[in-house]
Amino acid sequence: MANVIEVTGLTKRFGSLTAVNDVSFSVERGEIFGLLGKNGAGKTTTVEILEGYQTLDEGRVEVLGVDPKKGGGAWKDRIGLVLQDSDFDPSHTVAETVKLFAGFFTNPRSVAETLELVGLTDKTDTRIGRLSGGQRRRVDVALGIVGSPELLFLDEPTTGFDPSARREFWTMLEGLRSGGTSILLTTHYMEEAQRLCDRIAILAAGRIVAEGTSASLIALAGETMVRFDFEPGLDIVALSQISGIDFRVVGDVVTATIPRAQAQLLRLLQHAEHEGIELRGLGVVRPTLDDVFLDVTGETT
Amino acid sequence: MRFIRLSLRQAEYNLVAYTRSARTVIFGVLMPVGFLILFNSVLGDKSKSILVDGHQIPTIAFYTGGLTTYGVMLGTLTGILVSLVSAREAGWLKRFRGTPMPSGVFLAGEILYLFVTSLGLIIVMLAVSRVGYHLSLPGHAYLAIFCYTLLGVFAFSAMGLALTRVITTSEMAGSVGPFTVVILSFVSGVFLAPNLLPHWLLSFSSYLPLEPIVVGMQHAIALPGGSGLEARPFVVLGIWGVVSFAIAMRNFTWEPQKSR
Repeated sequence: MANVIEVTGLTKRFGSLTAVNDVSFSVERGEIFGLLGKNGAGKTTTVEILEGYQTLDEGRVEVLGVDPKKGGGAWKDRIGLVLQDSDFDPSHTVAETVKLFAGFFTNPRSVAETLELVGLTDKTDTRIGRLSGGQRRRVDVALGIVGSPELLFLDEPTTGFDPSARREFWTMLEGLRSGGTSILLTTHYMEEAQRLCDRIAILAAGRIVAEGTSASLIALAGETMVRFDFEPGLDIVALSQISGIDFRVVGDVVTATIPRAQAQLLRLLQHAEHEGIELRGLGVVRPTLDDVFLDVTGETT
Repeated sequence: MRFIRLSLRQAEYNLVAYTRSARTVIFGVLMPVGFLILFNSVLGDKSKSILVDGHQIPTIAFYTGGLTTYGVMLGTLTGILVSLVSAREAGWLKRFRGTPMPSGVFLAGEILYLFVTSLGLIIVMLAVSRVGYHLSLPGHAYLAIFCYTLLGVFAFSAMGLALTRVITTSEMAGSVGPFTVVILSFVSGVFLAPNLLPHWLLSFSSYLPLEPIVVGMQHAIALPGGSGLEARPFVVLGIWGVVSFAIAMRNFTWEPQKSR
């Protein structure tokens, strides 16, 4: 089946700053695709070009087979948006706001169904002005899905959610996906991307630095990781030589992936024990997307 | 058809917000009505009639016509200015832009709603004048008032739209709008009888967008005979409206104004 999003060689400049630099990726129908990156990596610029808000400088993008800059009402009818920040009239109730938006689309969900999906049923007749930040964000999401879109753009949708709301939100997105909705999601929560996304692209300084399924990305970091606290006086170079492990210091943590875990760990621990070195906070773990992210962007989240 | 249906819904949405906001009700209705009562109490006994553009008209007709027009301008110009600037500021306009709603619907809904609230204000003002001060209108006045209201809402909302080009924050919009209207009212024979103004000022304000329609309204309410409609308001406000609208629509921007 045709891809819902096709991006080739996308470049966008603001003055002397290249915000998006030769980015290419595609989103398949029915998948959740994640764009990861820290603030300023170019996520929102990329998404806003796909939504038709911004004009690209170089490259080619197609969304549902259409150039977003030429997308008219019929194209917008198939797309749902959750922008990074929008605010609504505080004097209207949740239901009134969602109903207004439902009227714009040819084939809308019912207000009740939409509010059920985003978990706002008990706030149906509450005025927007009386909602918490997380609840308002859910109204935002409700307005994004009320038109039963084929393709949904979510720009950092769970910012301001508490952990349980975030989990509910993930379940909702999985429901939308099984209903056939394709989703492009930007986030800086690694756990969110790892749990939800079928495929992920990591952006750093406007470029894609890694791309794949979360499993294949995690495999980049190897199978096993070791980490312990960095303390002054700890001779990392010596530890690396003796154990054959390539340690790195990130902040106050020493970390490394170890290809031959058993043998190398044994050598490390024997050496430490013999020299009377205490490795505080020692842990042997499977790498997570976080570790890959740190690896490929070279920075902390 | 779809455009009309969506515009009506948009207008209804705006009306709901209007009725729920104390600010719009106070500024939109209570203030003009309060002024009407105040000015009549203070000046109604002192002079029985006021000279307006060649015609002596009763003081109550002078204030009803002038303050009603003032209320329409205040509500319309400030209303569209504040709601557009704050919708733009909040990202609400940008959000609308991303939906299949035709872009004209937002404006149409806004203007339609301002027309309805303006008519509402006029009904309240006429009722107060009739009950409180025994103002009786000649039969043709109703049609004339209706036409002037259409004209006023068109011209004043176009001017409000044009102002969104230079006014970028809702805070500024909320003060610039009323300020403009009040100053204009002082020089257009709304609060003060025209013969109290220096001649040069009066002839200057006859080119501004308030004086012609104020005079039109006052004449329509006070003078018997004819259609009650005059050409001058339509010419002056028509030009102001069309030019303002053209300025507003040139590179109209939906995005918040502090981008990047």
